[in-house]
Parts: sequence; structure tokens; C-alpha cells
Amino acid sequence: MLAFLIRSLEAAMIFTFAGLGELVDQRSGILNVGLEGIMLFGATLGFIAAKTTGNYLIGFLVGIGIGALLGLMHGFFSITLGVDQVVSGMGIWIFGFGMTTYIGNPYTGPLGLERLPTVFGISPFFFLAIIMVVIVWFVLTKTGWGLNIRSVGEQPSVAEVSGLKVARIRYLCVIFGGMMAGFAGAVYGLYYNPVWNYNFLMGWGFISLALVFFSMWNPYLLFGGAVLFGLLWQLSLNPQMFFPGLASRYVWRMVPFVMTILVLILISSKWFRSRWGAATPEALGKPYHKK
Amino acid sequence: MSKTKEQEPIELHGDIWKHIQPGEVILDARGITKRYPGGVLANDHIDFKIRAGEIHAILGENGAGKTTLMSILFGLLQPDEGEIYVRGLKVRFRSPEDAIKMGIGMVHQHRKLVPAHTVLENILLGHPRSRGVINVKEAEEEVVAIAERYGFKVDPRARVWQLTEGEKQVVEIVKALYRGAKILILDEPTSALTPVETERLLESIETMTNEALGVVPFITHKLPMVLTISDHVTILRRGKVVDHIETAKATEQILAQKMVGRPVIFDLQKPPSQPGEPVIQVENLSAKNNKGVIALKNVSFTVREGEILGIAGVAGNGQHELAETIFGMRPAETGKIIFNGQDITQLSILDRWKLGMGYTPAERTEVGSIGDFSLVENVAMNYYFDKRYNHSGFLDYGRLRGLTEQIIEEYDVATPGPDVKIQTLSGGNLQKIIMGRVLSRQPKLVIANLPAQGLDVGATEFVQRKLLEARSNRAAVILISEDLDEILSLSDWIAPMYEGHIVDIIPAAEAKKDIIGAMIAGLHQEN
Repeated sequence: MLAFLIRSLEAAMIFTFAGLGELVDQRSGILNVGLEGIMLFGATLGFIAAKTTGNYLIGFLVGIGIGALLGLMHGFFSITLGVDQVVSGMGIWIFGFGMTTYIGNPYTGPLGLERLPTVFGISPFFFLAIIMVVIVWFVLTKTGWGLNIRSVGEQPSVAEVSGLKVARIRYLCVIFGGMMAGFAGAVYGLYYNPVWNYNFLMGWGFISLALVFFSMWNPYLLFGGAVLFGLLWQLSLNPQMFFPGLASRYVWRMVPFVMTILVLILISSKWFRSRWGAATPEALGKPYHKK
Repeated sequence: MSKTKEQEPIELHGDIWKHIQPGEVILDARGITKRYPGGVLANDHIDFKIRAGEIHAILGENGAGKTTLMSILFGLLQPDEGEIYVRGLKVRFRSPEDAIKMGIGMVHQHRKLVPAHTVLENILLGHPRSRGVINVKEAEEEVVAIAERYGFKVDPRARVWQLTEGEKQVVEIVKALYRGAKILILDEPTSALTPVETERLLESIETMTNEALGVVPFITHKLPMVLTISDHVTILRRGKVVDHIETAKATEQILAQKMVGRPVIFDLQKPPSQPGEPVIQVENLSAKNNKGVIALKNVSFTVREGEILGIAGVAGNGQHELAETIFGMRPAETGKIIFNGQDITQLSILDRWKLGMGYTPAERTEVGSIGDFSLVENVAMNYYFDKRYNHSGFLDYGRLRGLTEQIIEEYDVATPGPDVKIQTLSGGNLQKIIMGRVLSRQPKLVIANLPAQGLDVGATEFVQRKLLEARSNRAAVILISEDLDEILSLSDWIAPMYEGHIVDIIPAAEAKKDIIGAMIAGLHQEN
């Protein structure tokens, strides 16, 4: 039971890392649906780096680094070139899926390093995730940087005439989002599930993406949603713990994804929008061109 | 641009505004020239000077180069030639940031505020005070203090989307002042204000000039406004300065003539009204706005053949919802719409077109036209269902083209031809096409939503004459306008709206501008 809870919270911390980055990204007006691709890259390259050097730190740094690069790439497409952000994000996902399958194939199998230490049985990254939630919330709501980020995501032209540099702020945000996703991937591949197999992330990037919408762009709600999905994920793996004999395990495996779809349907419904729509960053997904 | 060493505005700002003497030249623009790709000369060697403590109006029609000039002064555009001096110091603005740092503030006509943010957040945005952790309490006190100094009231914690247009404008002005603006550029400062708000704004501007600030309103068509507020006027036409005049020596006629380049007739020939049968009767009509809140509340009125009903009011008081509900774009929550004796409350938009309604929307580029389509195709949007142009599902493009050419001719639309994309047309020409395709159907009811908004003097006059022509052709006209002068000169009946209600319906002959002004500001109750 305790193990179940701990595994759930550890899943939640990974959703939180990826989701927080995406949240900041979206608050600045950039939608990155390629989260899954960046996480796959972070997980795979982090895994390979750690496996070949025997050093966890290098693994994490490589994960963060590749995340930053992919974030930058998404930024180049969506900010500088002004292409459709969904298309660019989907491109990053497919690119990540294909490339990591190809690159990682020779490394299929366990990491073969000593397990990372835990605190009270849970990964210290969990506490890092909580700290990050507070930091992101604080920066977004209490500081001038946060004000700048939110303004750029709401009305970039207003930010521009107020003397801000829209493109620079957005770039910093996508790069941050990429780093967080890369790191989340590395935590997955080096700690949570350190056995490489192609597509071993199994859609966690998409769950994290859905969580951002679910959170109404609020870091605390994001964390709450991450815990909820962490529990659902574990439940889907071990349904017999709570509901022995109820439905096939294949049905249970679908639950987190069905929930994701339901959440996305809910938040795009008219009912929801008319009540909570104001929270959506107004300029989300819209390229900004100087007049 | 010469390669002489130019200062970095950032460092000098602290000292440059010390010891200003009233009457001293604080901004000197020399030979400002801007060429757009394609060779259009938007600004052609424009010179003017602004003195401390002066209100210097810049007057010009749309396309006269006002917006370009304004954008150059605020660093949004860079001039191809010419120099700007601020207190004798040559400056070059690469971005609004540079202009702001040199003490130039701008209040845009289309509000540059983030609706979802609080007033304070909007004012702080881009301000040096907002670096790092924001001290909300201190900032609030400072903002309120600066607002009070100029006679403004602001609630720093209110969300901008909750504010009226007038309050939003105050936020923008306070924002500019809080950033230390010494020269305040106002783009069409009174276009969205009620007369009462205008009065208050003028008082505040006076306080500013007493403190030796330079105020520069850019104005398109409100000539009386120019005469009352400004000390000097610079008039632009086709990118050139036509004249600099001391306002004391100017009259409305002189200004209009210089601005348009020909004498303008202010008096519209309005024949006496000859009302006939009721065309439209609206009873207890209510409707929601886009946020789902009831914005039109129990409105009733009747318009007869050959009559114009003028709906006066400041944006956001239900006029828009009224127009869209009558036309079927928005469901009626309560009430009935009776058109020529028939209850049409539940009919589709298409049915309403077929019955003889016509609508010219305020959003000409979003609702009124499809930018990527040709003029012919845009005209077809009001004719595709018409048996004369639609033969069992096949559009008769030949006839549609003929019709479009006829509209271009009759409405004097400046366009290379009927096949160009409609987005290449200027605002005035676009509106002429929209009016043309609606009025050429000879509708029994025309709903004109802000028909002349944003148009220059010439196009405004034209559009207004066309509405009077429709009235002479026995159509009923519902005219929605924020311009009281327009309402007063065109309408037979005037219905001021405030917060979704029609305050009263007054015959135009008895209407007084100040009373209607008070009604649309919510200061006058129905007796």
C-alpha cells in the first residue's frame, strides 16, 4: 500500500516537472504539444549518457541540455518563423519518437547503475517538485518577470508598447519549458523506470500536457492534478489492489488516457469556457508579428 | 540617417527633463519622412515643434500619415529620413522602450491594456519598478497619488476587463504619467468617451499643461474638439504638413477645408420625415453578450417606413447586442421582433435577408467581409440566395460581376477592379462596398452598426448621405453610433442606451445634445 502511494507520488513529480515547464511556456503564449517528444529525448539521451559514463549527474545534465535545445527549436519555429505551434509541436513529438527509437535501440535493457538514494522511501526529486511549484507560482504572480511573462501571453502588442521584448521573453520561456521537460524525461529514464525500451514513456508527456489545461494555468492545481493522475496511473497498473476482478487489466490501462481525453473535452466545452475561459492566456498558440 | 554619434537614451533620461520652462520647445521633429514598400510616401518631410505646456493637435484624415507619424514618435517605426530632438538633444528611437525612456508616453486609440490583469499590473508592466519582487502596496500608493494629482480616479485592484472605455483610457494615461512621460501623445482621445468623461479629461489635460507637460492629441474628425482643447494645430494631408495654425485663429470650416483639400458641406440635406407604416416593432427584447451576461434588457421600440432611429450610447451598453439580436445573429432571451407584421424572432439570418432586412456590421473586416475573397465574392454574400443570381445552385458570376461594377461606380469605390481581394481596400472603400451590397437590395430595414466609425470626413459624409437616401426610399433605418453629432444630424428619433436599457425615445426635433450626453452616461433618468 505504501509502495503504491510512493510510486504514485513519484509519477506525480514527473508530471509536475514537465507540466510546470509547459505551464510557464503557455503563460507566455507558446503552446508546445511536443512535450512527449522532448521527454522521450531527455529520457533516452539521459539514459545513454548515464549508462556510458556511469555518472547520474551527466545523465541529468544531458537530459536538461537536450530539452533546452528542443525548446529552442520549437521557439525558432513558433516565434521567429511564426509557424503553427501545433504543427511544430507535433513535429517535435514525431521526431522524438522516431529518433529515440533509433538512437536508443542498442541500449535496450536496464541501466545497470546503483539506484538513486531515497528520503523516507521517496525520491528527493519529489520535494524538489514541490519547491519548484512554489517558486513558479511565486515568480508568476509576485514578480515583475511573472508579470512580463503573463502579459506577453495575454496581449503581446501591449507588452511591446510597454517597452518589453516579446520574442526574448517567449524564447526564455520555451527554453525553460524544454529544460523542465528534458529533466522530467531524465528522471523517468534514470529513476522511475530505468529500463530502456522504445517509447517507454508511454504517453506521459501527453498526460502532462493535458494537466496544464486541467490546472487552469495555476501551479498548485497542476500539482494536485499530477497527484490525481499519479494515483490513477498506479491504479491502472494494479487494479486488483482495490477492485479485484473488476474489468480486464487492459481496460484499466486505458483509464489515465481516457481521463486525459475527458479532461480535454471538458475544458473545451462551452460550459467550461464561459465560466473559466478567462484563465486561458489570450494569445496562447498565436504567433506575434510586430506591426 | 547620419552616422554621427547618438546618445544612448537610457543613460540620459534622468537629467534631460530638469528645469523645463513653459513655452520652451521640448520636441522638435525635422523632415520626418517614411516610405513604405511600394513607394507610398506616408510621411513627406514633416516638421513640427511641441512646446512645454502646450496642447498641440495633429489633425488629418485617415491615410494622411497620422498613424505613421505617431508610430515614429513612439519608436514603433523608424523614419527613413529626418531627425527628432528632445530638448535639443538628437534622439533615435529603435523601439517604444527608447521613446518611453526619453519621456514620451502614448495613449492608444485601441486600448493597449491586458484585460485579464489588474489595473496596477497594467500600469506596472514595463516599468522599472516591476523588476524582481513587486511591492504591491507601495506601487498602489504611488499610482493613486499620481492619478489624484491630475484629477483621475483609479482602482488599482480592479481588473481591466471590468472597466468602461473611459476608465481604461484613464489607466493608460496614468500608466504613461507614472512612467514619467513629459510629452503625452493621445490618439483620438475622445472617440470612445461620453461628453461628461470628455469634460473631465479636458480638465486633467489642463492640469498637465500647467505642469509644463506637452500634450499632443491626434485627431481625425472631431473638429469642435480640436478647437476647444488645442493651442496649436498641425494639419496633415497626404503625408505632408499643410499648415500650422494657432487655434485661436481657426474655425471648423478652415480646418476641414485644409484637412480634406476642398470645402466640406457640414449640413446634410435632410428632407422632412414622412413616416409610413411600422416596419419593425421590437417588444421587451433581451439578449446576452458574449460573456453570457444579459446585456440587452427589455428593449421596445417601433421604426416606421422612411424613419431613422438613432441608437446613441457608449460602446458596451447593449447596442451591439441589440443589432445582432434583431438581425438573428444572437438569440433573443425574451421578447418579440415583429417585421412587417410577422413575428420573426425565431427566423434564421437567411430568412431575414430574404424578407428584406439588411445589416452593415461594425466589424467590417471580421463580420462584414472575407479579406481573401474578391470584391465580387464579397458582394455575392448578400446575393447568393437571390434567384436572379443563383440558378438552381449555380452562381451567375457574370451578373454578380456586373452588379459589383455598378456598386463600385455608384459608390465611388477606389479600387483597381472588382477582382482584387477585398482586404486591399482602405476602411472607407470597404465600408462603401458593404453599404453598397446591402442597400442595392433595397431593404425595408437597414441596421447600420457604427457605419461611419473610423472613416475620414469624406467617406463619413458619403455613408451618411447614403443612409438618408435609403430613408428617402422608404426604408426604416436603425442607426447605431457613438458619435452624438452623427445621431443628431441623421435621426428622426433618438434612443439613448445605458447599461442595456433604452433610457428614453426622443423626437430629434426636441433632442438636446447635453441631455442625451447625460443619458448615455447614466446621469439622467427617464421621467
